[in-house]
Amino acid sequence: MRKSLLGNAAFVALGLVLAFMPLSGYEEGIVALLCINCIAAMGVSLLTGFTGIFSLGHAAYMALGAYTAAIMTVRYGVHWLPAIVAGGIIAVLVAWLIGMPTLRLTGDYYAIASIGLGEAIRLILENWQSFTRGARGFPGIDSYTNRAVSVGFFTVLGIGMFNLIYSRLGRELKASRDDRVAASLMGFHTPASRMKALLISAFYCGIAGALLGGYMNFIQPSMFDMMKSTELTAVVVFGGLGSMSGTLLGSAAITSVMEYFRDISQYRMLIYGLLLVVIMVLRPEGLLGDRELWAFVPSLRGGVKRSEAREGGEGR
Amino acid sequence: MVNGVQFSTLFQQIINGLSLGSVYALIAVGYSLVYSILSFSNFAHGGFLVVGGYICYGLLMGKGFNIWIASLGALVGAGFVAALTERLAYKPIRERTSMTLYLLIASMGVSIVIENLFVIVVGGRFRALPQNTFPSALFSLGGNVTVSAFDIFSLVIAVTFLGGLQLFLSRTRWGLAIRAAACDLRTAGLMGVNVSLLIAIVFFVAGLLAAVGGIFLSVRYTLYPQLGGITTKAFVAAVIGGLGSLPGAVVGSLILGLAEMLTAGFISSQMRDLVVFSMLVIMLLVKPAGFFGKQIGDKI
Repeated sequence: MRKSLLGNAAFVALGLVLAFMPLSGYEEGIVALLCINCIAAMGVSLLTGFTGIFSLGHAAYMALGAYTAAIMTVRYGVHWLPAIVAGGIIAVLVAWLIGMPTLRLTGDYYAIASIGLGEAIRLILENWQSFTRGARGFPGIDSYTNRAVSVGFFTVLGIGMFNLIYSRLGRELKASRDDRVAASLMGFHTPASRMKALLISAFYCGIAGALLGGYMNFIQPSMFDMMKSTELTAVVVFGGLGSMSGTLLGSAAITSVMEYFRDISQYRMLIYGLLLVVIMVLRPEGLLGDRELWAFVPSLRGGVKRSEAREGGEGR
Repeated sequence: MVNGVQFSTLFQQIINGLSLGSVYALIAVGYSLVYSILSFSNFAHGGFLVVGGYICYGLLMGKGFNIWIASLGALVGAGFVAALTERLAYKPIRERTSMTLYLLIASMGVSIVIENLFVIVVGGRFRALPQNTFPSALFSLGGNVTVSAFDIFSLVIAVTFLGGLQLFLSRTRWGLAIRAAACDLRTAGLMGVNVSLLIAIVFFVAGLLAAVGGIFLSVRYTLYPQLGGITTKAFVAAVIGGLGSLPGAVVGSLILGLAEMLTAGFISSQMRDLVVFSMLVIMLLVKPAGFFGKQIGDKI
């Protein structure tokens, strides 16, 4: 309990620093984008790193959140805050409809199904001209996502996530990731916990999408294609599967690298692709492996190193 | 009369669908072959197709070779690129871990690298192989049904290559080794198969078949760095047929080609992709192993 209290306090401090650090306009934009990317990455991390379900279609939930918030604020004049939350909720509803039948699939099969579903959602948004304005995109969204808003969402959702992974549900997810059969035998209802993980991750991605809409003032179905989904999963793997702080670090690193190379946009994607390959070749376990950042600080580490405890789980 | 028109559209679209499906089959078979050995989805497969397309274009337009030599060069070139990709990107990962997710992400990286290399080196614009590269005359089959010689040609070539692959797999020693490895890679290695070489051969063959598909696609549509994206449909076809099963990949591709063209003919061509992905999802829900795949339950 003391540890999680300390963690929460640290997270609030991080949020306050991000929110009130004096920055130029450009840097503020980057902080906002960073927070948005981190929110989405946390969602995917819960599903991929902590539950062992690989999704290659999570950009679709971002798209749902973005379009929901955009349509509510622009067309119906709803205030941005409920609109963003509604974006998350719509993503959850769709994830529930999708998860009911598809979550029984495992491994590559779920990943492939999620590609299909993600692309299908994108194509529906693209072809539903009258409602979404189709492929040309949805312009004129209020820029409601300033630094304070995105840092605020990031802090609240981040604290929620870190408490979640140390909660009963979090342990349940990790158990079902490491060995589903054993977890079931221990009395966990693994299908239900997998579903919860999917819904929560969809919520995070929906919120991130809604924030992204307000950040860019413009959304387009092609922003949420398979490429974006890959990026979400890649960031999580880069940070380390099963490490939430690693996910945040990975997301921050990738976002900064991509920002850094913005001037040579031609080479940007090339570098990104090379980065993915090189990371997989040199350090497939990601930045932090499956440990959290504080596991590296000796005084905070409690007893057994988790990486040793998990040695046998590699061969999934 | 209305019925007559409908019937000829139907017939027309069936021919188009088979022709498109046969091109998908070339791509899907290579993808499925790799899956059967290493059980990961090689998303770089689309890149091999683009490499093949550009080599063919370069040899044909730049160096002035005739189409046969250019195609041969493209096939061999793409095969080498595929084998090289395996050696540089996948082999180190394979040797370190058995988690296929890492291979999957590396393959996405490779696909992004190949696509953007072409954007940088040759530019992103659309290129067309000259019209007279392949037979392109139109025949009329009575009524409004016309068949382009190119459709028939690509169908014949695709069948030839697929038949050749079947012979290679069923009649040669390496074919036997590949089939054994598809059953169990480790055991095949223990029985004295040179696994490294075997995987290189599998990638070479996959790249070669992808290049054939790439050349046809660059004639049918045009050639551009993102052309590899079309492989997603070949993946769908492979899944519908059953991942890792070669007959499945062919059957899935033909079904997909027909579904796509019939949707384009009778509903609207914007719905094609939606139909493709809906078929994928429905198939996964009803029969995740596809038509011919190994039954997969939970691995317990």
